[in-house]
Amino acid sequence: MAASKAVQGLKHAKPILSVDRNDARRRVLNLYKAWYRQIPVICNEYHINKRPKDLNRYLRQQFDKNRNVKDLRVIDILVIKSLQDLHETKNWWKMANHVLYPLQESVNPKPTGFLSKFLEGHDP
Amino acid sequence: MATVCRLLRNKCNFLSKNVMRAMSNETRVIDPHEEKIVESHTERDTIIVDRNEVLASITGVPEEHIKTRRVRIYMPARNSMQSGSFGLNRWRMDFDTRERWENPLMGWQSSGDPLSNMHLEFKNREDAVDFCERNGWECYVDEPIKTTIKPKSYGANFSWNKKTRVSTK
Repeated sequence: MAASKAVQGLKHAKPILSVDRNDARRRVLNLYKAWYRQIPVICNEYHINKRPKDLNRYLRQQFDKNRNVKDLRVIDILVIKSLQDLHETKNWWKMANHVLYPLQESVNPKPTGFLSKFLEGHDP
Repeated sequence: MATVCRLLRNKCNFLSKNVMRAMSNETRVIDPHEEKIVESHTERDTIIVDRNEVLASITGVPEEHIKTRRVRIYMPARNSMQSGSFGLNRWRMDFDTRERWENPLMGWQSSGDPLSNMHLEFKNREDAVDFCERNGWECYVDEPIKTTIKPKSYGANFSWNKKTRVSTK
């Protein structure tokens, strides 16, 4: 009944970008800095009614979310995806709501308590 | 004219092939020192990573459907109305059931769950568990119930030493 842990171990693999941890760390920090520098511009250009400070906090949260990712290749993919996102934001391939969507501010949070779940009526 | 053209083209092909061959021969002659560097470079070309890398952060599956879902891994049972056993010797994964509802007018069945109809099949249990763990899903294995089939024969009913009709004798 209990889930058995999968076979543990290491393996050789082709790197995507980074060859070692320092390399990956450098990429992540560069990415963070790039976003950090871009945030005031984003707020200004997209006419987002938010302080850059708040978006910086959100940025930090997003990076912290993947804090425990150890695999170099996964880190690289995350960096590449985020760079693409930054590129799209910078080049105006988005609209203000696309920029704000990840913040999920317009989405009502799901009920967590027993009573609030019951009062919600359904749990899709 | 056409034949001349073809001939010329063939000759050109032949020439270029020879040139390529000569060049490749040249590049193949490498002194042992250089070869060593190439080897060390190929060693550096691979990195050591975890065998089961967690892909949950890059698969694009919404976080809601990674953290809140539970996967059941099991072997499908034989249809009790049929004797065929094709497709039973494999492991399947299923997600927990989410809310379903019925259309009040037409009675259509609906669900808002994108993973409700996803059935994946694996050759063995380990593969399935691996897959779930790499994708960040919590999973449990339902052990199949082993059935032993007793061999029966019609002739045993008339045998003098097999106790098949004990009650009537």
